[in-house]
Amino acid sequence: MLRLVFAALAGGFFGGGLMLSGMTDTARVQGFLDIFGAWNPTLAFVMGGAMLPMALAWVVADRRKVSVLGTPFPPMRRGVDRPLVLGSILFGVGWGLSGLCPGPAMAVVSFAGPGGLVFLLAMGAGMVLAPQATRLTNRLASQRLQMDIRRLTDSYAVSPQIAVEDLQAIKAAGFTTVIDNRPDGEIPPDLHTPVMKAAAEALGLTFVVNPVIGGALTMENVSLQRQAMESATGPVFAYCASGNRCSVVWALAQAGTMPVDDLVRIPARYGYQLDHLRPQLHALAGDKV
Amino acid sequence: MPMEWLMGLLGGLMIGSAAALYLLVNGRVMGASGIVGQMLDGTAGKTWAERLVFLAALIAIPAVFYLAFGAETHLSGHWALLAVAGFLTGIGTRMANGCTSGHGVCGISRLSPRGIVASVLYVGVGMLTVALFRHGLGWL
Repeated sequence: MLRLVFAALAGGFFGGGLMLSGMTDTARVQGFLDIFGAWNPTLAFVMGGAMLPMALAWVVADRRKVSVLGTPFPPMRRGVDRPLVLGSILFGVGWGLSGLCPGPAMAVVSFAGPGGLVFLLAMGAGMVLAPQATRLTNRLASQRLQMDIRRLTDSYAVSPQIAVEDLQAIKAAGFTTVIDNRPDGEIPPDLHTPVMKAAAEALGLTFVVNPVIGGALTMENVSLQRQAMESATGPVFAYCASGNRCSVVWALAQAGTMPVDDLVRIPARYGYQLDHLRPQLHALAGDKV
Repeated sequence: MPMEWLMGLLGGLMIGSAAALYLLVNGRVMGASGIVGQMLDGTAGKTWAERLVFLAALIAIPAVFYLAFGAETHLSGHWALLAVAGFLTGIGTRMANGCTSGHGVCGISRLSPRGIVASVLYVGVGMLTVALFRHGLGWL
């Protein structure tokens, strides 16, 4: 209940601030963007004013673990990726054309007439289609780079052994965490874990070392994979020799979160046969067979 | 003119306080596109009510403000242009995971590299768009 009261207070303050500052007037917003015409700097004052309390709030948030109502503070997402760049460019065009961004578009809907409603409905349609657009962007990126990224889900992909040079492409394809599931004993020294880890971290990727010994997978492997996936701030990329071990640990770590049929069927699309794991997956999921 | 700037600063302080409140009490980033977008793409989960209440207040308070003091939007009368602009704004902000409030107000104040890159891009592209469509083509 308190959560809803404060959500209303925040929404109301946001709306009031937008009205007071004139950011609901598209002429003023486009005036700020019009550097070759009669430039209007008001938006810079609004941004400056808004950042003061917010910068303080982040300082306070850094010293505490959870919010007043007990919610953990959102971690900072790292990594500038393709969807971020492309999306911000598309938004810039829409913002320039209309003078409206999402907050003000909602704030003015009660008095902006039919045009305001047209903008809002079109914005909603764009928001619904955005996940598909993001997936398409990522797929095109990985195709162009000729890499063999096998996306089991939107948030988890597997691959055969990668080289140091591939890390840039993995980052560009939107991944934020790389999991190494291959023990160093079976690979040449220039692809050993410390080399890959240093290169990945230099790019701002999180690198998780979780070597799975072929045929001797442990439950620690499974829980480490699960932890890495849960704490990732974006899609996860796992590699081993063929991608098979990454698929096996994935299926075991996901048991109970999706039907066993899916856990077997999805990796099968890429040629990973997990049928023999069915009894174990059912047991982990707590199913009564 | 400086009055406009002063109101901008005061309104900005209000917007920033709203974002600070939402972060420190509710533990969430106040990003307009994320709040509405995750309701539309089905990823809001248990936070639906919180988002709905936020949006209701975001729409209701300006409505009251409008009835009391009046306000001007100078919104374009070309519906096709608004539809295209709205669509690009919707798809772009969700692909980028943020707009002027999330990446701008909340991201830059945290010195988030993603927030800074996004903000430089949408402001820069917004400026180019206005230059092209207003001064080049004369559409705006």
